Amino acid sequence: MTRAGNPRLVGYVALAALGLLGALALRRPELAVAAAPFALVVALGVRARDPRVAVIFTMGAERTLEGADEDVTLTVRSERAVDRLELLLDLPAGVQVAAGEAAQSLRLDAGEERELDVALRCARWGVYDLGAVKVRARDPWRLVTWEGQVGALHRLKAYPRPLTLRRLLAPMETQAFAGSQVARTKGDGVEYADIRDFVPGDRVRSINWRASARRQGLVVNDRHPERNTDVVLFVDSFADVRYGDRSVLDDAVRAAAALATKYLEHRDRVGLVGFGGVLRWLQPGMGSTQRYRLVETLLETGVAPTYTWRDVNVIPARILPPAALVLALSPLVDPRFVVALEDLRGRRYDVAVVEVDPVPLVRPGRTEVERAAYRLWLLEREVHRWRLESRGIGIATWGDGALDTVLEEVRTFRRYARTAHV
Amino acid sequence: MVCLLAVATVPIARGDDTFQEFDVRVAAVAFVALLAALVQGWSWLVPAAIALAGGSYALELAIDDAPLDVAVPVVAVGLLLAAELAYWSLDERSRVPGDPGQGLRRAALVALGAMGALVVASALLALVDEVRGRGIALDLAGAVATVAVVVMVLATARDQSSSGS
Repeated sequence: MTRAGNPRLVGYVALAALGLLGALALRRPELAVAAAPFALVVALGVRARDPRVAVIFTMGAERTLEGADEDVTLTVRSERAVDRLELLLDLPAGVQVAAGEAAQSLRLDAGEERELDVALRCARWGVYDLGAVKVRARDPWRLVTWEGQVGALHRLKAYPRPLTLRRLLAPMETQAFAGSQVARTKGDGVEYADIRDFVPGDRVRSINWRASARRQGLVVNDRHPERNTDVVLFVDSFADVRYGDRSVLDDAVRAAAALATKYLEHRDRVGLVGFGGVLRWLQPGMGSTQRYRLVETLLETGVAPTYTWRDVNVIPARILPPAALVLALSPLVDPRFVVALEDLRGRRYDVAVVEVDPVPLVRPGRTEVERAAYRLWLLEREVHRWRLESRGIGIATWGDGALDTVLEEVRTFRRYARTAHV
Repeated sequence: MVCLLAVATVPIARGDDTFQEFDVRVAAVAFVALLAALVQGWSWLVPAAIALAGGSYALELAIDDAPLDVAVPVVAVGLLLAAELAYWSLDERSRVPGDPGQGLRRAALVALGAMGALVVASALLALVDEVRGRGIALDLAGAVATVAVVVMVLATARDQSSSGS
């Protein structure tokens, strides 16, 4: 810890010196007597030694949910007595104290150990480095302080808060493995598809006896098999629109985490592409391990401004398996992302877009020029939307409502949209 | 501030009319300086205010050319209390919640310091009264002590600047 003198030390020493000099100059010993108490306090104060304070930061868990409280214990120990020990929990932006105090002061006797409990809350998802504690020890006369930063850093991962999703967006095509998605092809399954004439090799239990009786010949039921799907979450990290405590990127990450969790529960393979200034990807996979991988990759998502042109060629081919559903989450602010979506659709990927609405977060402006720019921006967004819809890409705007409703809109568009000629 | 005003009234009460007028102005400046220090949080103004009040007292002693002033221990305690309480007020601006009883403990320490200052100042005054007029040796000792304190001021200032950088 660094030792430093308080302003009081300088003041008292200056007063003592002034008194003594005045006594000499004016030849009045009373002034030396008046300066003596200040000199005495200084002499007492500068004798104080470094108290050698140690602070141990203990955290209950390494992972938490945004908005949830996480208990933290600060164990403070001092080798020498400290009259006033001030502790300041140095918290990164986005973490706040939910219970207890971030700054506290206490008195410790020599060798005494104290525990302070604090509850922290992460206001936003992300990765936070906690554990830095600023310490300031003062001597009883408040003349000297020892300051320093103690405590080892602990990483706390705040996962996005879960969103309620009842039904997911089904892809146009399914994969070969068993899953929860009803395939469009016919085969062994539960969902009824059609009836057809019996051919040798058909199982007897597939025979539809009622239909056979009506048609005077054996007919069998065809069914849709349940298959898994490949889903790639395509998150736009070119730009973020932020106003107050709301941000479209934060919402997009929350939605991506919720969608990933739900698809993985249905035994689908889920991959991730963070497309922006920095390209982040995760190969499609399934299971709970993949869920943690996905969420932790999402936590690293941030906007890295770039002016270089990026297209989907920079994405490794194995990240986008054939017949995968590419579910994009974007505010449709950057034209590079719109072009990338068109490109993917041109490569016959099944693309759907959840547009995280940035419009309520943008003010129209005060001057006529600003308002004109705002209107042009809105028109440009309409053009982006029209370009994607004309290629058969389902889009729905997600504002304050439930994500379920938005997915239903996309589902309806995809049900009635004609095949796009791309 | 009450302590500062009490100290400032000592030379006002003793001096003649001309000096009283001058001393009231000095006391007013000291009062305003301390007030500004407390309101604005300018800790460097506290010793300036104390020095003004003490300087006024010193000037009155020099002009009056009276024998040894027996009130000086009280003046010394008044000045120390004024400084201590002003710095305490400035410390309280940080608003860091502390253990219960911290304020009482500090008040006890300040009271103890004031008592100690009174005892030391009285003892010194008695000593001065005893040895006054016994030659140049005492003057030399005073000069050495003054030089030592000035060296301490410079060392402290250097410590401050190095820790600040």
